[in-house]
Amino acid sequence: MPECRAIAIVISLLLSGCDQPLPGPEVQGGDAERGRAALQKYECGVCHLIPGVPGAKGRVGPALHAYSRRIYIAGRFPNEPDTLTRWLLDPPALAPDTAMPRIPMTQKTALDIAAYLYSLE
Amino acid sequence: MAKPRFTRRYKLLLMAAGASALVLAGIVVGFVVLLSGVMTTAATKQHYTITHRILDLGLRYAVRTSSRDVIVPPLDDPRMIDQGLACYRRHCLACHGAPGLAQSEAGKGMLPIPSPLAQSAREWPAAWLYYVTKKGVRMTGMPAWEFRMSEESLWSTVAFLKTLPFLSEREYREMEAAVADEECTPRMQLSGLPGRERGDLLLRQYACHSCHRIEGVVGPHAHVGPEIIDWRSRKYIAGVIPNTFDNLTRWIIEPDALKPGTLMPDMGVPPAHAREMARFLLTPE
Repeated sequence: MPECRAIAIVISLLLSGCDQPLPGPEVQGGDAERGRAALQKYECGVCHLIPGVPGAKGRVGPALHAYSRRIYIAGRFPNEPDTLTRWLLDPPALAPDTAMPRIPMTQKTALDIAAYLYSLE
Repeated sequence: MAKPRFTRRYKLLLMAAGASALVLAGIVVGFVVLLSGVMTTAATKQHYTITHRILDLGLRYAVRTSSRDVIVPPLDDPRMIDQGLACYRRHCLACHGAPGLAQSEAGKGMLPIPSPLAQSAREWPAAWLYYVTKKGVRMTGMPAWEFRMSEESLWSTVAFLKTLPFLSEREYREMEAAVADEECTPRMQLSGLPGRERGDLLLRQYACHSCHRIEGVVGPHAHVGPEIIDWRSRKYIAGVIPNTFDNLTRWIIEPDALKPGTLMPDMGVPPAHAREMARFLLTPE
C-alpha cells in the first residue's frame, strides 16, 4: 500500500537522521586514536580547546570543535587533508605571521593528528 | 448527589484528554509533513492565494502597529527628495526597479516578488514606508536599512518614494541625471539601545554570523570562521595579533591590513560600529 510505504519512508528518514551533513574529509594513512595521543603528547591543548583530549582547554588559538566541518585553516587556506598535514608540520611555512609554532613531528604523526581532527563532527 | 458530580468531572477529563490528543496529533502530523520533505523550497512554485493573502494581511497589520509612534517629518523639500533618489538608486533599484527601468536579475527571481514601489508608495502612509525600509521584512529578502543608511537618508528615501508614483519615465531619467554626484549617507552613530543589545545587533547587522558561530546569535551553524564564544578569554585574533580592544577594532574594520590573505573580508564597518562590537565581545555580561 502506498500509504504504508510513505509512513515507512518517513520513519526511516527520521531514524537515519537526514539532517546530517556530508561526511568530512578523510586522511589516507592516519590513525585517529594515535592522533589523539599525539595531540596530548605535543600539548596542543595549551593553546587549543580540543574535544576528547584531556586538559585541552587553551584559549590562545581557536577551539577545534567540529573540525571536520571547518571550511578554512588559519583563516587563509581551504581545509583539505594535504594542507592540514602541511600546516601541522610547519605552520610558519604557510603563514609566516602566525602565532602557531612549528612543533617537530613526523609526517605520520601529522597524518594521525589530521585524522583525529577530522573525526570531530 | 455524588454521582452526577463524578460524571461531570469524568466528562471534563474526557474532553481535556481529547483536546490534548488532538493537539498532539497535530504536532505529529506537522512533523511528518516537515520531515517528509514534501514542502518545497523552490522559489519557482507560487504561494497559494490564501497563503499570500494571509501573509500580506499580517504584514500590513504588523507594520501599522509597529509604526504607530513614528513621527513623520516634512517630506516636500526638493533637496531631501534628491538625496532620497541617490539612496533609491544605490539600494532599492536592484530589486524594485524604477519608472521605465527593470529590476536586476536577482530582483526578478525572488519569491515573494519585491513590491512595485510606485504602488506601495501611493497606498502606504509615510510612517509605514519608513518602518519597512528601516527594519526590513523577515523571510522576504527585504533587508533592514537602519545600519546602512543614516536616519536622514531613511527619511529622504521615504520622501523620494512619495514622489515616485507621479514620475514619468522621462522625469525619472532627468531627475536621476541631475543627482549623479549625490551620495546616500551611511549610518555612523547608534543611539537608543543599551550597550549589550546594540553590540549584539551590530554583529548580526554586519552579517558576522554568516561565517562565525556566535554565542547567543541564532543562525546557520557556520564553520567558515572560528566560533566566537567566550571571546574575551581568547589570546590572539586570527592567530596573528594579541586580542586587545584596539587590535580587535582594527581587525573588524580592515582584516586584510593586519593579516594579508585572510579570507575574512572587509565588511564595511565604520570605526564607531567596530568599537561597539569590540567592546561587546570583550566585556563580560
